[in-house]
Amino acid sequence: MSETGRVVGRSLPRLDAPGKVTGRAVYAADFALPGMLHGRVFRSSQPHARLLRLDTTRAAAIPGVRAIVSATDVPDVRYGAAVKDEPVFAPDVVRYIGQPVAAVAAVTLQAADAAVAAIEAVYEPLPPVLDVASALAPGAPLVHEAWRSYTAIPILQRDGNVCNRARIVVGDVERGWAEADHVFEHRFTTAMVHQGYTEPRAAVAAWDSSGQVTVWSNTQLPFDVQATLADILAIAPSRIRVIVPGIGGGFGGKLRIGVEHFAALLARKSGRPVKVMTTSEEELTAAYPRQGTVIELKTGVTRDGRLTARQGRIYFDTGAFAGSGPGVASVATMVLAGPYRVANLHLEGYAVYTNKTNCGSYRAPSGPQSNFAVESQMDIIADALGIDPLELRLRNIVHEGDEGPTGQVLNAVGLEECLRRAADAIGWADRRPRPGRGKGLAIGWWTTTGGSSGVYVKINPDGTVALNTGAVEIGTAALTGAAQVLAEALGVDLADITVVSADTFSTPFDFGAQGSRTAFAVGNACRAAAAELSRKLLAQAAAQLGCPEQELALRDKHVVGRGGRVSLADLARQSQQAGGGMIAHGTFIAPGTAYDTKRVEGHVYPAFHSPSFHAHAVDLSVDEETGEVTIHRYVVAQDVGFALNPTYIEGQIEGGVAQGLGQTLSEEIVYRDGRVLNANLTDYKMPTTLDVPRIESILVEHPGRVGPFGAKGVGEPPNVEPPAAVANAIAAAAGLRITSLPITAEKIVRAAQTGGR
Amino acid sequence: MARLAIALEINRERHDVLVEPDRTLLDVLRSDLGLTGTKTNCLDAECGVCTVLIDGQAVNACLYLAMAAQGRAITTIEGLAPAGEGLAAGEGPAPALHPLQQAFIDHGAVQCGYCIPGMILSAKAYLDEQPRPTEAQVREALAGNLCRCTGYQKIVDAVLDAADRMAAGRSAA
Amino acid sequence: MSRFEYHQPESLPDAVALAARFGAEASFLAGGTDLIVQIERGRVAPRHVIALHGVPGLDGVTVNGWIALGARVTHRAIERTPAFGGALRCLIEGAEVIGGHQVRNVATVGGNLVNASPAADLVPCLLVLDAAVTLLGPAGERELPVEDFLVGPNRTARRVDEVLTRVGLATPPSATGTAFLKAGRRRAMEISVVCVAARLTLDGSLDRCVQARIALGAVAPTAVRAREAERMLEGQVVGPALIERAAGAARGACRPIGDVRASAAFREHLVGVLVHRALDRCVERARRAA
Repeated sequence: MSETGRVVGRSLPRLDAPGKVTGRAVYAADFALPGMLHGRVFRSSQPHARLLRLDTTRAAAIPGVRAIVSATDVPDVRYGAAVKDEPVFAPDVVRYIGQPVAAVAAVTLQAADAAVAAIEAVYEPLPPVLDVASALAPGAPLVHEAWRSYTAIPILQRDGNVCNRARIVVGDVERGWAEADHVFEHRFTTAMVHQGYTEPRAAVAAWDSSGQVTVWSNTQLPFDVQATLADILAIAPSRIRVIVPGIGGGFGGKLRIGVEHFAALLARKSGRPVKVMTTSEEELTAAYPRQGTVIELKTGVTRDGRLTARQGRIYFDTGAFAGSGPGVASVATMVLAGPYRVANLHLEGYAVYTNKTNCGSYRAPSGPQSNFAVESQMDIIADALGIDPLELRLRNIVHEGDEGPTGQVLNAVGLEECLRRAADAIGWADRRPRPGRGKGLAIGWWTTTGGSSGVYVKINPDGTVALNTGAVEIGTAALTGAAQVLAEALGVDLADITVVSADTFSTPFDFGAQGSRTAFAVGNACRAAAAELSRKLLAQAAAQLGCPEQELALRDKHVVGRGGRVSLADLARQSQQAGGGMIAHGTFIAPGTAYDTKRVEGHVYPAFHSPSFHAHAVDLSVDEETGEVTIHRYVVAQDVGFALNPTYIEGQIEGGVAQGLGQTLSEEIVYRDGRVLNANLTDYKMPTTLDVPRIESILVEHPGRVGPFGAKGVGEPPNVEPPAAVANAIAAAAGLRITSLPITAEKIVRAAQTGGR
Repeated sequence: MARLAIALEINRERHDVLVEPDRTLLDVLRSDLGLTGTKTNCLDAECGVCTVLIDGQAVNACLYLAMAAQGRAITTIEGLAPAGEGLAAGEGPAPALHPLQQAFIDHGAVQCGYCIPGMILSAKAYLDEQPRPTEAQVREALAGNLCRCTGYQKIVDAVLDAADRMAAGRSAA
Repeated sequence: MSRFEYHQPESLPDAVALAARFGAEASFLAGGTDLIVQIERGRVAPRHVIALHGVPGLDGVTVNGWIALGARVTHRAIERTPAFGGALRCLIEGAEVIGGHQVRNVATVGGNLVNASPAADLVPCLLVLDAAVTLLGPAGERELPVEDFLVGPNRTARRVDEVLTRVGLATPPSATGTAFLKAGRRRAMEISVVCVAARLTLDGSLDRCVQARIALGAVAPTAVRAREAERMLEGQVVGPALIERAAGAARGACRPIGDVRASAAFREHLVGVLVHRALDRCVERARRAA
């Protein structure tokens, strides 16, 4: 195993904890400026309609209203991560209930609400497309008549209501079916779910007299928001400054532009700073939730449990605008393959337009849905073949040096260890102790997203270190982890490091808090900066100590050598006086992962970089009369490569499983006729303290080649396996196979009553 | 109705404010008094980020009228730990932390931190009433505080540890 | 501009006078966990809010043969009343499951009754205890059984110039057991999908039921008694088969709707399961009490 370092590998307290426990830390939702106006958004009441007339006259007359903006105030620009199909305000057609049509800024929130209520819109309803099946039916209405004219990532396979079809083809599945002794076909469905961050999306925008705007926001991707705002405001990105003062959770829901554009537009028009913040209702009707899906999975297997072929189709109901759908549909195909050796694959992910809120990326996008199908089916197969589910997996999992589905070579494959240790920890040998109680397993793999990160690292004259990064600390403690890497490299303590982050003007570029990449990429950028600082420090010290650089080292906040030592503080002070200061720039971008381009089509994510591997095991009871599920134990074994800070990695696992259990058992955004029925936290049911069991984390370390000290991304993976692990345990406990999420008490009782065994 | 002058006792300090009667305590704390340690989210008593203590009891400030808070002792996260409450003294200019705050740091119970002020105050109110709780009791006491980041485990561990520390502090005093 | 005028009377007569003066334009404010939500969501828009926390005498619990809970008694206070731990256990069980501590610290039994949500948890408990509310108006006091007080979803028999001052109930006979059970999609912070309260009083031999009460919540426009099931039990020797039949009869008493929380069929099914379990508990508790 890896050696624990002096700083890395230790469960040190996170740097931003004191501010958070004292209430001093300022989040975007807390941010305010003097003279600030409050903004509210007027939203479509129709799922699909032509906007015939928009009348804001009465609204403008309401006392306290200072600005109203709508499509006429914005250039005819469309934005979007993969397909640029989304307008700021609907100019002529509305495509989901909740789509922004106008926005108002007023002196009080009350006045803004009154103004929004006074806006009149006249619609001519158009036939709505309410689900994936309707969207794909021949002759279906088009959600976007002008889809061809949109700018999109060139490789996307778009057609009408399909905004991407991503595909992986390996070998020949027909040959695989022929080889198989049994072929299994199943259909699974999952519901739309919300990230559930406790801080609403918020932004404050203020223009200065030179036509530059500063936006304080709780975005996870300040540089992406900056770029999008540039298009919307029709000014150069360098005239837009996006700052993240603090963010109360994101989980992917705060990646893309949320309310920043409304704040900026209203601030420009009113001449005053404007704050816009979402309500719970807006979050549950007009945010970036996880797509609901339909999954068709067909797998061939020999009688002794060897997988011969897999064919899969996953349809993402991505809503009125493509959002992250096209990319998510691509990633899904990687998850559908599973971390298994399967010679023949035909896997497709479809992102489909409907007249619902456009969906985005939510922690391990496509992961839980695809994994639910794959891992549920593995257990169904095991059951049918009379093979232990653990054994079936052991016979098919990938190992060191194997190929992934797109031909990438897998290394640092900790999967077998994760699987065995999780099974062992849950007591797998006794997996059906009595009727109503059972144990289930699920395994998976996930990526560490690439993208570049830059840091400036400065040594202060008192010997402390300033880490200046464009990254956003969304709560994972990733920046503490990166600071630990930096401290390790510089020979200082974690507590010597101060982090400044997330200001597009003064911090270097960072690809953003997405894809479990922050500690990985910022940590490596810190190593690069530390290397440069080390060179400078040693060179300067060598001159003072009269000793060659090769004989010097950084240790204990000093440069030390045979002939003496000099403190980093002194070196920094000297450099500041005579040489502009001791500062270095470090950058990092992960090298690409080679894969076979012939295997993929329409694929935005054809390789999993520095992949992680994981196994979840759960022990639960089912009350077949009430459908209630009680989880007794939940074990996670996750290959994290190298545990930079074990406590906070456990925190990611515990939180990720809790969130995953919500998706598994109780959460769903329910639509009927294009309208959300449960747009409030009373009826969107997130787990409370009484709903989440203790979670036992086993940190497995198979160090990767790229991450700092071999670390891999850790934040997303724990969200992937809970649905399948729980579904498999329920099947073991009660003989009930539920193939749709969430697995509610009602579904369990209904299955028990209709003999769904 | 015109605005009314009321006096609110917050963290043992008197604040004179002018409020319309329909203003909530949450809004007055955050917008009028700049006390943004108490957080805003659902405004529906479903999430608990707005939890404050009123006469030592945990309450959702989002549904509590400022008018009704007159004559009550209001505690927000900012007022949690004046030095000298039998706690370890802080060093330098940083104020002493309440054992709950320190325990949350020590156990890695803080991630994004947005739920934490409400969580700490709910825990404090409960420990003041039940100084040696079981894990099940702690979970039940915090059921009105949603956390999306942590899965609650390290929060529960921190509260149990804080209870031990506070009991030890009392017996040492 | 405030949406309402705020009044803080310091006596019951003053509170009644304000209600008489403003009538349907006024709402009483107790804990606020229903009223303020409804005002914020625009579901109600009173021009006058009459806060009750300055009125003395509304927050006491008296226990002396007759039990009276002041209208402003909070759910937390009910949870913490030792006298309710015996035969009146369902009161604690019904009080302790609503919201979290924050809600229960301020939400009152009076407010819960007046709000009259079909899914209110305490209400079925009060029904099985034959509780009655006391209303004070300009013309004086009147008492109404809770069952008659509840008229429809969020509608009660309270006149606009009346304030609910207390709810009262008789101490149950010995050899009585009560129980409350609820079903929801998560274990806390739940509006009941179904809730059930039950009371059984046994005779001296502890075999025969002399009095039965079963009340169902969240399965009808108001909480309802399952009278056919009660009749089935009264006078009979209790046993598993009888309890099963009574649970089946209770299913017939409910008229549930299907909504985003559950289908009607599932609610009806749960009534049967929870009534059965609640009755089992009542028998066990009645026998233990004696």
